[in-house]
Amino acid sequence: MSLAMQCRFVRDTFSINVDVSAASGCVLGITGENGSGKTTTLDMIAGLLPCTSGSIIIDGSTVDDSEKAAFVQPEQRDVATVFQGGGLLPHVSVGRNLTFGRGRALRATPRFDEIVGAFDLHQLLRRKPSELSGGQRQRASLARAFLSPSRVLLLDEPTTFLDPDSRDVIRRLMKEWFEVYEGTVVLVSHDPAEIEELADIALRVAVTRGATIEADLVLG
Amino acid sequence: MTRRLSNPRGLAVFGLPAAGLVIVPVVAVVWRTPWSNFWSSISGGAARNALALSLRTSLIATVLALVFGTPLAWMLANSRSRGRAVVRSLLVLPMVLPPVVGGVALLFAFGRRGLVGGVLYDWFGIRLAFTETATVMAEFFVAAPFFIVVMEAAFEQVDRRVLGAARTFGAGPWRAFLTVTIPLVRPSLIAGLVLTWARALGEFGATITFAGNTPGRTQTVPLAVYGALESGDDSALALSMLMVVVSVVVLVALRGRWIGALRRGGE
Repeated sequence: MSLAMQCRFVRDTFSINVDVSAASGCVLGITGENGSGKTTTLDMIAGLLPCTSGSIIIDGSTVDDSEKAAFVQPEQRDVATVFQGGGLLPHVSVGRNLTFGRGRALRATPRFDEIVGAFDLHQLLRRKPSELSGGQRQRASLARAFLSPSRVLLLDEPTTFLDPDSRDVIRRLMKEWFEVYEGTVVLVSHDPAEIEELADIALRVAVTRGATIEADLVLG
Repeated sequence: MTRRLSNPRGLAVFGLPAAGLVIVPVVAVVWRTPWSNFWSSISGGAARNALALSLRTSLIATVLALVFGTPLAWMLANSRSRGRAVVRSLLVLPMVLPPVVGGVALLFAFGRRGLVGGVLYDWFGIRLAFTETATVMAEFFVAAPFFIVVMEAAFEQVDRRVLGAARTFGAGPWRAFLTVTIPLVRPSLIAGLVLTWARALGEFGATITFAGNTPGRTQTVPLAVYGALESGDDSALALSMLMVVVSVVVLVALRGRWIGALRRGGE
């Protein structure tokens, strides 16, 4: 499993060039200041934004290519996401969030029990996300991502806005699960220490400002 | 000495008459309603026909707003095109347009010699103006914009991250719309429907202009109230009282929710 993207995204006065490739089992860390295009990069991989030009290849299959006019929808990319704030569905329980899109039968599997146990979610399965603390929400969001059979795992600021104790818990969980994860991880964080601790390859979005914002994703 | 922060003195002199002008008429309707023969007044032939017609047409107009307004509101909320502002302005126009003018506009669009109505009549023999269908159309014209505005604001509030997560975890566009977007906008949806229905139920100007005032066919409750008042009929007050009750129920049901929704929609 691998990820290769060589693409550019332009909207209004903002543009970002991304030239990145990572093998399976690799944790790619991306840092950069706010508004530099870190989230945009994740959105392009997830299929929430088509790249303006260039291509994205996941695991040998082209998911986005401006020249071949190819674009695979997010639900068919085998990508799991942990968005900033968790991205949990606010109107259903944690349990339904974990099985969302994959049927309730998933609940009866050993894999479900294993992950719910590892992320300490047994007591929270019936609760709504709004009844959870920030750390609990992030645990649920991570668990949902690891439950999903994916080729690429995208994490957007998974520990931002957490208190120090919750942050340590989330980092420990990420570290453990990154080791057994077979796909490619892309971890976005504004915290260089987090990237240092968790990532195999660190990249930084370099931004040049003029009349337009030009950003380049380069090896940090 | 009163221990509180002082307010601009004398402001109430201007504030109280405003409250009085709004509240006193409602009190007057309650006071003058002929309670002893209330039921017979509203269950008599003309009044009952008007009630049935109003109920039927306003509900149909509301359902049409739901079925056709929801997709339109979604398109407005998700469009990035420049025409969006223009389309939105045209769509909310009926909210500020005098309803009579709306009726005139409908007549020139769907009347027998209207823009579309002419084609419908000449080619298919379909006549819309001065029918029950026209009543529904007039009510839709005036009321549906409320629903569209409320729903557009609601769709804009839906968290893109949550929808994005739903998509990446396997939901196709329709599934995400039905199982994520719609449940998230449900409070606004209900508020919008109630508001639209109330507006449709009270429609007068566009209806009388485009659908006419034929008892039993196009005479809705507001038209019947006006007619009964002119002929000195007791049912004017009884029907008015009924509308006051319906309005109060609507307000209680909404609990001020639509005001927030409209404010968000107004940007």
